[in-house]
Amino acid sequence: MKVRKLIALGLCAAMVSTMTVAPVLAEEEAATEEAAAEETTEEEAAEETTEEAAAEETAEEATDDAAAAEDPTAQFEGLVANEAYEFPMMVKSFQSTYWDAAQEGMKMAADELGVTYTAQGPNSESDIADQVNMINTAISADPVGLGLAACDTSSVQDALQTCLDKGIPVVTFDTGIADAPEGSVVCEVATDNVQAGSVAAENMYPAIKDVIANAEGQVIIGEINQDATALNIQQRGTGFIDKMIELIQADGKTVAVTGNEFYVNAATGADADAESADVVIQVAVPAQTTVELCSTEAQAILSQENCIAVFGSNQVAAEGVIAANANLNVLGSDAANGDVIGVGFDAGSIIKGAVQDGTFIGAVTQSPLMMGYYAIYALTAAANGQELVDVPTEGYWYDATNMEDESIAPNLYD
Amino acid sequence: MTRKKKSILSDQRFIVLLVVIILAGIFSILSKEFRQYTTLLSMLDFSYYDLLMAIGVTFPLITGGVDLSIGTGMVCYALIAGTMVRSHGCPVLVAMLLCVVLGVLIGLLNGVLIGVMNLPPFLATLCTCMITRGLGSLYSATPWPTLTQEGGWFHSIFKLTIGTGRSADRYPLGFLWMILLVLLMEFVLNHTKFGRYTIAIGSNKEAAALSGINVKFYHVMVYVVCGLFTGLASIAYAAVTPTVQPGTGAGLEMDAIGGVFVGGVAASGGYGSVLGTFVGIFVIMLLKTGLPYIGLQANWQQIITGIVLIVAVLIDILKEKKR
Amino acid sequence: MGEVILTMKDIDKSFPGVHALDHVNFEVKRGEVHALMGENGAGKSTLMKVLTGIYQKDSGSITYKGKEVAFHNTREAQDAGIVIVHQELNMVGDLTVAQNIFIGREPRKGFRIDDKKMIEDSKKLFQDLHIEIDPREKMNNLTVGKQQMCEIAKAISHKAEVIIFDEPSAALTEKEIADLFEIIKDLRSKNLGIVYISHRMDEIKVITDRVTVMRDGGYVGTLITAESTKEDIINMMVGRVIYEDPKQHSMVPPNAPVVLKVEHLNAGKMVQDVSFELRKGEILGFSGLMGAGRTETARALFGADPKESGKISIMGKDGQLHEVTINSPQDAVKYGIGYLSEDRRRYGCVVQKSVTENTTLATMEEFTSGLVIQKGKEKQVTEKYIQELATKTPSADQLVVNLSGGNQQKVVIAKWLTRNSEILIFDEPTRGIDVGAKNEIYKLMNRLAAEGKSIIMISSEMTEVLRMSDRIIIMCEGKVTGDIDISEATQESIMDKATRNIN
Repeated sequence: MKVRKLIALGLCAAMVSTMTVAPVLAEEEAATEEAAAEETTEEEAAEETTEEAAAEETAEEATDDAAAAEDPTAQFEGLVANEAYEFPMMVKSFQSTYWDAAQEGMKMAADELGVTYTAQGPNSESDIADQVNMINTAISADPVGLGLAACDTSSVQDALQTCLDKGIPVVTFDTGIADAPEGSVVCEVATDNVQAGSVAAENMYPAIKDVIANAEGQVIIGEINQDATALNIQQRGTGFIDKMIELIQADGKTVAVTGNEFYVNAATGADADAESADVVIQVAVPAQTTVELCSTEAQAILSQENCIAVFGSNQVAAEGVIAANANLNVLGSDAANGDVIGVGFDAGSIIKGAVQDGTFIGAVTQSPLMMGYYAIYALTAAANGQELVDVPTEGYWYDATNMEDESIAPNLYD
Repeated sequence: MTRKKKSILSDQRFIVLLVVIILAGIFSILSKEFRQYTTLLSMLDFSYYDLLMAIGVTFPLITGGVDLSIGTGMVCYALIAGTMVRSHGCPVLVAMLLCVVLGVLIGLLNGVLIGVMNLPPFLATLCTCMITRGLGSLYSATPWPTLTQEGGWFHSIFKLTIGTGRSADRYPLGFLWMILLVLLMEFVLNHTKFGRYTIAIGSNKEAAALSGINVKFYHVMVYVVCGLFTGLASIAYAAVTPTVQPGTGAGLEMDAIGGVFVGGVAASGGYGSVLGTFVGIFVIMLLKTGLPYIGLQANWQQIITGIVLIVAVLIDILKEKKR
Repeated sequence: MGEVILTMKDIDKSFPGVHALDHVNFEVKRGEVHALMGENGAGKSTLMKVLTGIYQKDSGSITYKGKEVAFHNTREAQDAGIVIVHQELNMVGDLTVAQNIFIGREPRKGFRIDDKKMIEDSKKLFQDLHIEIDPREKMNNLTVGKQQMCEIAKAISHKAEVIIFDEPSAALTEKEIADLFEIIKDLRSKNLGIVYISHRMDEIKVITDRVTVMRDGGYVGTLITAESTKEDIINMMVGRVIYEDPKQHSMVPPNAPVVLKVEHLNAGKMVQDVSFELRKGEILGFSGLMGAGRTETARALFGADPKESGKISIMGKDGQLHEVTINSPQDAVKYGIGYLSEDRRRYGCVVQKSVTENTTLATMEEFTSGLVIQKGKEKQVTEKYIQELATKTPSADQLVVNLSGGNQQKVVIAKWLTRNSEILIFDEPTRGIDVGAKNEIYKLMNRLAAEGKSIIMISSEMTEVLRMSDRIIIMCEGKVTGDIDISEATQESIMDKATRNIN
């Protein structure tokens, strides 16, 4: 892989030099090639330093404490609001129906408890500064509590400190804030993303188990993550990889992880190198979080003949996989006959459609509804002065057979 | 003989075409997956809207201006049209028309701000960039809309599919439309009053004005044409992406503008060609599509694209100096 | 007047094709104000540029304070104590007075600029000059006069011993000029040598001690101001033999109708109450010195710059004069006016485009059928004009940038002829054009006039004005100071009017 990279860089350098020189000094072609060769060596040196630096970055170990606690929702039993509280609820955006479902949950809880809330959020999930401003404005009105789904966890540290100083309890939902100032976040309501990722792996593996067992050469499982910086995507992606490694090794095969440096380093248990492994998990991350770029990455993975399965770890990534398949047409449910098995994450009409028509064998959904619901409960309890423990919500597997179930359907936003 | 060779080498379009061929060659050699027909199909799918934006923005760039609102504008029109289809049952054909109308309107706004009120193009279009971004998100409210719910024929505009399922044959019909549009606009640039004046404004606005040309009007028209093509781009965008995400689009204009510069439009305006833009966009598209195939991480793609762009603009400056 | 501080002897300087300075002599004494006079292009600026190191002399010698010197740049001249106060002020508007005065040599305290010292020093400078300006004020907030004072203060802060004023009064009000003269007198009493370049005869009489006159790059002579009359000076300025015969009388038939009538045109300071008439087939010369407002008048007439007031009438197809509104060049072109700018590269043609494209730039409508340009017809017309005007170009596709000045001018003429313009405004038609091509342009203009086109010709060259014009309008500082028939025009009478300050 590394050799390829170097060749590519060298060639690009050569190309660039050609472009520069050709029109100006059309004659001196030989000189250009020499120059290009030199550049390659320089690039090589530069490349090595970068990789070393990247290797030092270590992944944050996700802790799996869902099993440790007993049912955390028990703490809300018999909860009554002492006053008609009003909570500002900071969502990441209003752009996806995901946040609609969350608001539906908030509304349910608010109606049950007799409290009110105002949902606010920026234009898009990448408008970090806008959200920070909104948070600061909300805090300046001294609310009894603040619900927060942070677009960027490091940017809200100051705001959290202010809340701590002012004694405003903060309940985070959807996205946890790992390094929040001690005592500022009184309760975290979030999908256990490690668990959610592993749910995807657990449900994908049975479909490809036989293919892996009978494979003559190496097979590839792809994973598309929209980024390598958001904690929830990191945990989800790593959760999938780790569970998949565990399942494959249990059947006596060797695994390697390649692609994006973050995920390669974060994965635990890979026991072979990319050349000799029975199964290679390829992880791709696009330059920007757009469907088009996810699709390009997915296309590159899916077009390999020995690719047997692919996982898109959120709505954007999963839609990217579907877009790539529009031309390749390789996804299906019959792995034995050469179909590539696709698994998605989250919902939205496109992914739901893909699950329904068998393009995806299924997908994992979070429960934004439950997160919104419990966030209001936690805020009310905190405003009452109650001590709280975190509330993890689960990721649920859904496929064509259970999409209409009462427990699943409300979370499958359009 | 040698003279002829020299003149073709000094044509940037030819060089860029060479680069396209070389790049395609490199990727094909390094990755057998890249050589597949489906790769070409995908690359073309995603090139249409970039190319349409680029054709449009070629004109402001020739006048020495710029239009930064094309990326967010394109997404905005697609969002509004998609929401019309999805939430209000608007026929797809009407929605397509709406895209174009919206594009022309925002283009007109840009044109008036720049040509009549004399705002610097960078500033004026930065403002409309923000406006369209907010407008699209606002109107579409929550769902990720799409134009593609019902109309199978809509997809066929850009990609003709014969047969169904895995055995279907797919043809990149959109490429044909692109070639026709490129030829049309190249003709417009070189053989119409509008094109001649666009170049004159970019080359020497004062002299054009003193020759009695209605510089204001043509300056506005340049941005209207750009808006028109942005509207067309939004149709292509809606056709190839599964859904349109609100709030996105910022940054998409950079690929288009980058492609135009690679294609040889003068950085200071005054000359350029739509054919150049056409090949320029394919350099960008090849880098975007090809680099993942040879296992390069995403951030490298942007770095390399940036370097290519610097080189393209440097060539232009060196050529200027030689004159 | 004290001893001689600066002597320039036999200074010679050539540029390709031009003998700019021909063995010029010039000297300045301590405690004198020495006027340097001459027509546009007489070589005054070139001489001063040679002195201050912007140009290098080809031969001759410069003696300064008893030593022979040769400065290589203005910095060196400045350091030696010779500074120019330019006509265009070289100030950074957004910086303060003190920052401007000490720009490039800011006093420092460690790594920090010592603002306090800078302000103190500036204050002291102003005190010495008896000027009241706050050094902390932004340059932009000062009047032009005050800005000029700052420029002078800056010059003095260089420990100047010779100060050159290049048309300092051009942009000043009368009160400001009086202040300026006070300062100059003050500097003179401090034994500095002062060179004063100006076109204003009245000022010369008031402020200077001696006058040196230059003409055509040569030295004519030096007079003691107090002992000379204004006529003496003018005679020295214009007293050359004119080789080309001046026009003896107007070629316009006495009954030729008026095609353009301008009444009370006002547009800023440079165009004040300008009125004139242009008759069919007439070449109307606009004479005057640099900054007289001739180009400004033309641009306002053409709609390129906004007008404040005034009435413009143009002869219509019915042969009658009709009042017209010209708010843009587009309007002017519609009424059959064509403008040939003095700065062809900037305003005249699109140099990076072909001869064809430039020729048809103003007449695109005639070459389009529907939306499409008829390239064949375009080329045919272009080639017709190439032939008719004897434009030297390898082909109609040649880029204009590759043509010589004279041929570029012909392309612009072709542009307006294609447009069929009846009134042509030639602004410095032969600037930057060599002698041979000049004659061709003259012939062309005469032919056009004979064919019934009416021409306004703005020219700073006296010979050109006298050779070409049927009638001459003379302007000075934005006002018309003379309107004379060619039969009555002499160099002296024109120069007299052009230097007449009629405030």
